[in-house]
Amino acid sequence: MKAVGARLPRYDGLAHVTGRTQYVDDVRVHGTLWTKAVRSPHHSARILSIDTSKAERLPGVHAVITAADVPHNVYGHLEALGVPGDEPLIAQDEVRWKGQVVAAVAAESEEIALAAVEAVEVTYEEREPVFDIRIASDPDAPTFHQWGSTYPHFGPHNHRRVRKGDVDRAFEDADLIVEGVYRPQAIEHVPLETQVALAVPEPSGRLTIYTCTQAMYFSMGVVAAHLQWPLAKLKLIGGTVGGGFGGKVDTATETICALLAIKANKPVKWRFTREEEFLVSSTRAPWHIELKDAVTKDGWILGRRTLTLHDAGAYARFSPYGVTKHAFHHTGAYTIPNVRFDGFVVFSNRVPTTAMRGFGVTSVSMATEAHLNRVAEQVGMDPLELRLKNANRIGDTTGNHVVMHDPSTVVVTLAAADAAGYQLGEEYRSMTSERRTGELLPEHLVAQQAPDGDHLATYNPATTNGGAH
Amino acid sequence: MRLTVNGTEHDVLSPPLTPLLQVLREELSITSPKAGCQQGGCGACTVLVDGEPRRSCLTPIASIEGASVATVEGLGTPEELSPVQAAFHEHYAAQCGFCTSGFMMAAEALVQRDGETSREEVIEALSGHICRCTGYVKIIDAVTAAVNGDVDTARVEVDQSPRGDEAVTLIPGSPA
Amino acid sequence: MAKHRGRGFATIEYPTGMNQNGDPSQAWIKLKPDGSVDVFSGTVDIGQGSKTVHTQIVADALGVPYDTVTMDNTNTDSSAVCTGTFASRGTFIGGNAVRFAAEKTRERILDIASKELEISPDDLEIADGQVMAKGAPDRKISVADVAGAATYQYGELISGQGTALKPLAEINDDDGSVTVEPHSAISYAACVIDVEVDDETGETTVLKMLQVYDVGRAINPTLVEGQIEGGAMMGLGLGLLENSYPFYPSPEHRGEQFGSYLAPSLEDFPEIENVILENPSADGPFGAKAIGEMANNAQPPAIAAAIHDAVGVWITEMPATPERVLRALDEKQEPRRDGKRVIYDEDLSVEALSSDGGQAYWGVHA
Repeated sequence: MKAVGARLPRYDGLAHVTGRTQYVDDVRVHGTLWTKAVRSPHHSARILSIDTSKAERLPGVHAVITAADVPHNVYGHLEALGVPGDEPLIAQDEVRWKGQVVAAVAAESEEIALAAVEAVEVTYEEREPVFDIRIASDPDAPTFHQWGSTYPHFGPHNHRRVRKGDVDRAFEDADLIVEGVYRPQAIEHVPLETQVALAVPEPSGRLTIYTCTQAMYFSMGVVAAHLQWPLAKLKLIGGTVGGGFGGKVDTATETICALLAIKANKPVKWRFTREEEFLVSSTRAPWHIELKDAVTKDGWILGRRTLTLHDAGAYARFSPYGVTKHAFHHTGAYTIPNVRFDGFVVFSNRVPTTAMRGFGVTSVSMATEAHLNRVAEQVGMDPLELRLKNANRIGDTTGNHVVMHDPSTVVVTLAAADAAGYQLGEEYRSMTSERRTGELLPEHLVAQQAPDGDHLATYNPATTNGGAH
Repeated sequence: MRLTVNGTEHDVLSPPLTPLLQVLREELSITSPKAGCQQGGCGACTVLVDGEPRRSCLTPIASIEGASVATVEGLGTPEELSPVQAAFHEHYAAQCGFCTSGFMMAAEALVQRDGETSREEVIEALSGHICRCTGYVKIIDAVTAAVNGDVDTARVEVDQSPRGDEAVTLIPGSPA
Repeated sequence: MAKHRGRGFATIEYPTGMNQNGDPSQAWIKLKPDGSVDVFSGTVDIGQGSKTVHTQIVADALGVPYDTVTMDNTNTDSSAVCTGTFASRGTFIGGNAVRFAAEKTRERILDIASKELEISPDDLEIADGQVMAKGAPDRKISVADVAGAATYQYGELISGQGTALKPLAEINDDDGSVTVEPHSAISYAACVIDVEVDDETGETTVLKMLQVYDVGRAINPTLVEGQIEGGAMMGLGLGLLENSYPFYPSPEHRGEQFGSYLAPSLEDFPEIENVILENPSADGPFGAKAIGEMANNAQPPAIAAAIHDAVGVWITEMPATPERVLRALDEKQEPRRDGKRVIYDEDLSVEALSSDGGQAYWGVHA
């Protein structure tokens, strides 16, 4: 009997339907304290003073922490790759988004914790906030990030670049240039289980953290870096996450619970309210994508020029990675031989944006697929036939020189057309993913086609010996 | 005050305005109802109070003094699943499982109500529950089956077919 | 004063893995003395079913019944490193890690079995928990007996470990080129969406979503359907309902509850039809690729295209709310033509809004 391919019952199915699956908030440790956060009410402001003394004196409050309590307060999600950290765990001299944590308290009940939050006194000096990334890099625009208006560490550049072929020549040769602007929005992850962590000091001196993270070791590294602890002192325990969708990678609650647990020497839990989940947890990023396609009147896409702006919110987090992934897929499931892509990570005074299902590619799929329909309309061609003509085929290469060995663009498009009862011309209905030849290999696609028979990983027509295996 | 939960009588100590959800989870350690939003908007906290589905996050216990509360823990066991539980397991109606308890208790109320129920009526009855993982398809399949008595096995049969599955097509030309 | 039907189409692709950043997954396996199998995988199950898929992979890679395999809860003391559950890497990369661990474990089982049966390991196979001579299945020993013999006679813990790690794909920062593929596989999907648009209220109702996915290999077809269906509703939310900032870029009036933030509910539930295709990958476990992340990517553009088909307006600021549809119907904006240029959405562009024509962005060197 084979298991692979079989509709076997879920491993955790019985636990789910008997209510026995354990989520972090179901873990019961005697004496657990409740956490609440003091959050910035301003979009952008300097912090002038923080006074936690009244909160600390409230009966039932066991610990209050501010930036001063964090051994290493700065971190960056891409530090492991040599990209400097830009974000404090707890706000220090300034706040850059409404809801940013300025202090946190651990108390014996939710009510006492809320009262303690009210008792913390913070004074601010507001600054003009930045919200529109299209104008955030204007010469007269205010900036708040230490790096300026855009992330500067794509190597020596402040933008992710893709350059292949000769896009200016493509625009000269084109019969039509179709231009459009696409603005996919920020949305919330909306997991049914909100962000939650429970930190428990162990008799051995270690700290156990029950966490809803999607990335156990990544989160462990983040906590260890903030605490300046060796990994051996931490134990992170997962179980089942009540929905993640990319929103439970940022490690929002673990370190703060850990710090409070260490200070109070008691177990500490932080469970976001649904309001916090909606208003202050990280979101999918808003994007602004401008496409210009050089096309022939018989539906070939000769070239594409793309400008992408990604709204990172107040800090970089994973945004550079998202823009990079976006850059790799900006031609979609199609072969466009001449491309110029420029993608910017732009800062704004909103909650930092993060990964969400499809990260980086969701936005470019939205833009490029909608745009292709407009292109089809302008050249007077059926939108599916336009797709099939330009679809990735075996041996085609992408804008970053990856060779397509087994693309399924044609297959899935034809299968969908067939299932939907969509009428296609005969020559299109019989198309395959086979290497381009004859009419499907016009002059402008010859140079980008990788040599036959070699299982190259990448192919750059500009070099003589192609790519590495 | 007195509260019966899954057939067991309890002397509840929480103050009268405490939401039933908090009493169940914190005082009685009955954790199947979940704190999804505590605003009455998602349904993950749904339990039965005297047979009626209620948002336990919005139900102060003083308002249900002496009532009989039912949660998933009282429906059945892994060895003996109730029809609603068997239907959810058979139809893969749970992914992360966090919304599942609320849906199942609402479904249980529908099952108790008796009589044939159409798929459209099931959708209408459950429309106050949010699920983010499943896209609802298999939940509706499960509940429609349960309310129409269409649950014939208490455990899911393991599909013995080595490769044959009509819903999955190997692309011609691909290695098998 | 009418409802109009429309149909829209989208084809997409999506990469598995994140070896632009480094993405190892590791796993290890041990057998108890009675032959039951314990798997320690670092992959976190977020509901997509990675525990199930990994158990299925191990069962077949070892040749033992599915219900003899136990998955430990992910924790950092006993689970090995898995970079994380994202980038659609759980089945491919996480699954390869458990597969490699199972293959190493299988070698140890065969080694002990060969000593017990006095047959070379090359002439043995394992199926349904039995180690058998190829072509002579009556010469056999159960995996349970092998594990017992290992523990009490041979002094060996039968175990195996595996790591799946694709080399880092370094990126040329000047032109974006790579010499190592920045992914482990690519999955493909196409989607057809039928809508009805009310030209008086601007409301769009999704009637049906037909979705075709090439997932390489459906390790568990029902779990694949779960991803298609869950993704479909999330994509519907992206296309029509959800916005963290309803007046973006303004931060005002954010929804803080279900009801002011419109997560898709059963009120929005259309007919959903799935088609699952398999174009197996070269290196994935049993040919698998991925589906998790891409599942909500095709719907927004297909919805936009369907709205255009229905009422002739293009919505490119998502979601396509009733207000946006009505405004577009009122304005009936045609693209500007300038020679061979056809220019849509000009008033949304950087060039139109910035104080210097967007030079900071458009003016970077070629």
